[in-house]
Amino acid sequence: MAVNHWGPENAKFWMRKAKPVLAIFLLAAVGYPILTAKMPTTAYEGRQKIKFWHRWGGEWEQVVFKIAGEFNESQTTYEVVPMFVTGAGSDTKFILSATGGDPCDVMSIWNGNLAPLAAADLLTPLETLMTPEELKYFQTVPYPAVRESGQYKGKTYGITIGADLFGYYVNADHLREVGLDPDKPPKTFAELVEMGRKLEKKDKNGTLIRMGLNVASLQTHSYAFGPGFWDEKKRELRLNTPDMVAALTAMAEQRKAVGFQNAQRFWASQNTGSSTGAWPFIDGAVSITYDGQWRVEEIRKYKPDMDYRVWPVPPPEGGRALPGSIGGNFMIIPATARNKKGAFEWLKFWSGLTEPNRAAKFENWGGWIPLSPDVAHSPTYEEYVKKNPRFQTFIDILDGPNCHAYPPVGYLGFLLDQLTRAEDSALRGSQTPKQALDELDANVKKELRKRKEMGFDDSL
Amino acid sequence: MSPKARENLTGYLFISPWLLGFFVFTFWPFLRSLYLSFCNYNIVQPPKFIGLANYQMMLFNDDLFYKSLWVTLRYAIVAVPLTLVVGVALALLLNLNVKGIAVFRTIFYLPSIVPTVAMTSIFMWILNPQVGMVNRILALVGVSGPAWLSDPVWTPWTLIFMAVWAAGGSMVIYLAGLKDIPQYLYEAATLDGASAWRKMRMITLPMLSPVIFFNLVMSIIGTFQYFTQAFVISNGSGGPEDSTLFYALYMFKRCWKYMDMGYGSAMAWVLFLIVMLSTGLIFRTQKRWVHYGR
Repeated sequence: MAVNHWGPENAKFWMRKAKPVLAIFLLAAVGYPILTAKMPTTAYEGRQKIKFWHRWGGEWEQVVFKIAGEFNESQTTYEVVPMFVTGAGSDTKFILSATGGDPCDVMSIWNGNLAPLAAADLLTPLETLMTPEELKYFQTVPYPAVRESGQYKGKTYGITIGADLFGYYVNADHLREVGLDPDKPPKTFAELVEMGRKLEKKDKNGTLIRMGLNVASLQTHSYAFGPGFWDEKKRELRLNTPDMVAALTAMAEQRKAVGFQNAQRFWASQNTGSSTGAWPFIDGAVSITYDGQWRVEEIRKYKPDMDYRVWPVPPPEGGRALPGSIGGNFMIIPATARNKKGAFEWLKFWSGLTEPNRAAKFENWGGWIPLSPDVAHSPTYEEYVKKNPRFQTFIDILDGPNCHAYPPVGYLGFLLDQLTRAEDSALRGSQTPKQALDELDANVKKELRKRKEMGFDDSL
Repeated sequence: MSPKARENLTGYLFISPWLLGFFVFTFWPFLRSLYLSFCNYNIVQPPKFIGLANYQMMLFNDDLFYKSLWVTLRYAIVAVPLTLVVGVALALLLNLNVKGIAVFRTIFYLPSIVPTVAMTSIFMWILNPQVGMVNRILALVGVSGPAWLSDPVWTPWTLIFMAVWAAGGSMVIYLAGLKDIPQYLYEAATLDGASAWRKMRMITLPMLSPVIFFNLVMSIIGTFQYFTQAFVISNGSGGPEDSTLFYALYMFKRCWKYMDMGYGSAMAWVLFLIVMLSTGLIFRTQKRWVHYGR
């Protein structure tokens, strides 16, 4: 007698039968799009590709696409293909690819990583790709601090496509609220601190609900209080000098007056990431804060009616005005890159080594500090500064004599980590500024001794 | 070829893909890293033999080495026993025959399958000192919660709390161990008039001891390799004030940030020796407290 499989009592039988069919169906649903997917083709077939890695995600990536688009439209030989490499792992990815022999052709990196990569012979000296005219131009025209930020042992390994400088952003409405005039910037650091105290707001429990002044960056402040942590002329580090102690003490005293715990709790509750929406200054949580020049462009885009000022770090009595420490994005070409010529064409296009006025447009899109006065004082850039007058402070710092590059040393990563640690300890009140700098000095000396014994060449 | 040799060859051929992978991707790098630990090696240039210099520097001239070791040990001393106790306690509770126990088991196991980065990011929000859920709840009862992730005093405790939260992974293994304990032992103890506490002390824990031993060894090894949570919380810096500078994070920084792979390899070998030593010590003690007999 034939078995009847159609009755409701045979549901299990059909479930068992259906399982393999379902599995095959699922496999097909997932596998088909993968197997039949075609690699995206580019719009410029037949051109030489330039693989460009960068660290700009989100809205910044659109700026990169726009600049790449202009380059590709201007070209008949090359096509630049930008690729976002996430920030945290970008250095590791670069090192592995360069060592493995399959790197990008050109990459935008943070200048704090440049010297260590150059010291490891991973980068191409860019002078080898310049024509004599370009070399002469590069040696004479760019801002010295910006040019030197891309150099190691006298050779150029990186050229900026968008440098950074920092200053104090000031909420003008907050100042007026407490009877201060935002158009009268403080003459000394002590005056700035005093202003900050007036701007503070606390709730009934004494918890800070508005921070008056957020001080940061021993690096920049050290150039206001003395010759700085790195003496370019003498080519030596000055990590534990009286002016360094004075700079860190002034910063720590300000934090102490606010209350170390109070300030720490307040700051920890703020989203201090790079996104504009969460910037404590733009939502009024902080009245005066230390930040980079790209924020001018962000305020223009996202809170155009905000009334604010930008002040340079004020020096102490008898100190040095308009201090600056160049950071930011530098384009490098790996030593093992396949298309160095094309990479350099792209670098020149963006940086303004050729056609400064065109480069000015790109720098303005990102709100960046340019390579040379040719760009900074080009009609396009000046027009931008005229429309965004707060940007002028950064140009003043750039044009001034107190703007500096990082020390070009192979152990820069370690040095900057230790500097940040010393500042952090002092601003938390867990070490006195002197103790923090003693430890910083001792750690860096130990590291140097270690490197020397291991055969690293740290001569300057 | 004799049948025995043929059989052996067939066996080796079957496992050859694994053997090949093991020798190429595990055993060779393992040996190579031993050689590199005696070299100055920055990944790019050929390694330069420098004898014991890396080890000498690490042991006699590097405060951060000891600091990172202490951060890791401190965490291990608290987190390993705590997660072990919580894991066993949870397993005991979830071994009860009550209605809906499967749901509870799933709930307690869920945290251990959440990706570490996602879990850490969520904790960063929950523990935000001003707007985070934990401090808001504390504020309801008049307690002002600390800055959990930016105060160096509190950061280690926060990481320990996160480890305890994810104790569900070991709980499942304990639960399997509990299920494996013969029921007749409890029946005999009941007939002899043993109390619940005595049954737990004299039957459950001794019978569970092989599983506890296994989890203890694995936790210690895992703790010495602790990296991801510290990396996410401190954005790779090991801060605030080196309070999250775990050994593996410092080793990573040495290798990839300071491009000192020789030194990093030496650190890896010291770590290996520490793990071997601590595991060996635990193995030495097992005769006293691990019961394999039935």
